[in-house]
Amino acid sequence: MKRVIVEKKILERNTESAQRIREILKNKGIFSLNFMSSPGAGKTTIIEKTIEALKDEVRVSFIDGDLDTDRDAERVKRLGVDVVQINTSGACHLDADMVLKALNKVSLDCDLLIIENVGNLVCPATFDVGADRNVVILSVPEGDDKVKKYPVMFNVADVILINKIDLYGVLDFDRDKVLKEIREVKPKAEVFELSAKTGVGFDEWIEYVKDFIRQ
Amino acid sequence: MHEGAIAESIVDILKDTAKENKLNKITKVALKIGKMSGVMIDALLFALDALRNEESIIEDAKFEVVENDIKAHCFVCDKDFYFEELTDIVLVCPDCSMPLEIIEGKEMEIIEIEGE
Ligand SMILES: [Zn+2]
Repeated sequence: MKRVIVEKKILERNTESAQRIREILKNKGIFSLNFMSSPGAGKTTIIEKTIEALKDEVRVSFIDGDLDTDRDAERVKRLGVDVVQINTSGACHLDADMVLKALNKVSLDCDLLIIENVGNLVCPATFDVGADRNVVILSVPEGDDKVKKYPVMFNVADVILINKIDLYGVLDFDRDKVLKEIREVKPKAEVFELSAKTGVGFDEWIEYVKDFIRQ
Repeated sequence: MHEGAIAESIVDILKDTAKENKLNKITKVALKIGKMSGVMIDALLFALDALRNEESIIEDAKFEVVENDIKAHCFVCDKDFYFEELTDIVLVCPDCSMPLEIIEGKEMEIIEIEGE
């Protein structure tokens, strides 16, 4: 019997690939956002509206991680943006190797790279995909208990978008509780409250993205 | 269930380590998983179990997991705070209200193995 001290990080390979992505994007002066949320929170709609609001000033490329459809990619392609779809064939998250491969196919002649992760609040939190900012969307219809239920996801968020706020007051959603719990789980996160449907609150978010690209 | 992908990464590292150390089989694996890692230990053990049939090197391996509590630090007050449950975490310093930094609890590591 032989005992071997290993002391190795299990996701070391993913971390290295994520680091490689950061280097490639930095050298090209590209900023990147990784969008995560549960299904139906409005990820694709927010991405579409964000691209529409930016497209006169900012060149955007888009990597879409999807379980097995290209519906979201098609929606975004219509906006005249270069789109590459990663079909995860059932995998519940994107990893850095998948994104690294997609970088060979997507146009890097852009200012902003948007990555849409697979829709759930658990698995994508564990895998760094090399983006500059992690954006987590929480929508009002999902209920006000999500932050404490998925603290790992909210902790990896740099930006949290509370979407569908046109439903504040219509649905039972304790806004103060959610904002307090976000502060407890990720005190440094930037929080924007908006509705992709009515456009309310969207300007602040777009300004944030523009400032972030100008940096 | 992303634990499947994590189990595969573990087996990849185990295969490399076994080769480097001229082991034909691994009998014991000690893992450290932080409570803030986003990994469910039961799901991970289940996924590792499922890989036994495909990877003869871990066929009889016993996986032992040390679960690491969450430790957060206030760099203003120079104080540590511990959280046993994920649902209990409050990363705001009770004394000075500044954000706490998580310094332990996110780890996912293979600590050591035994084999022959
Ligand atoms: Zn303090």
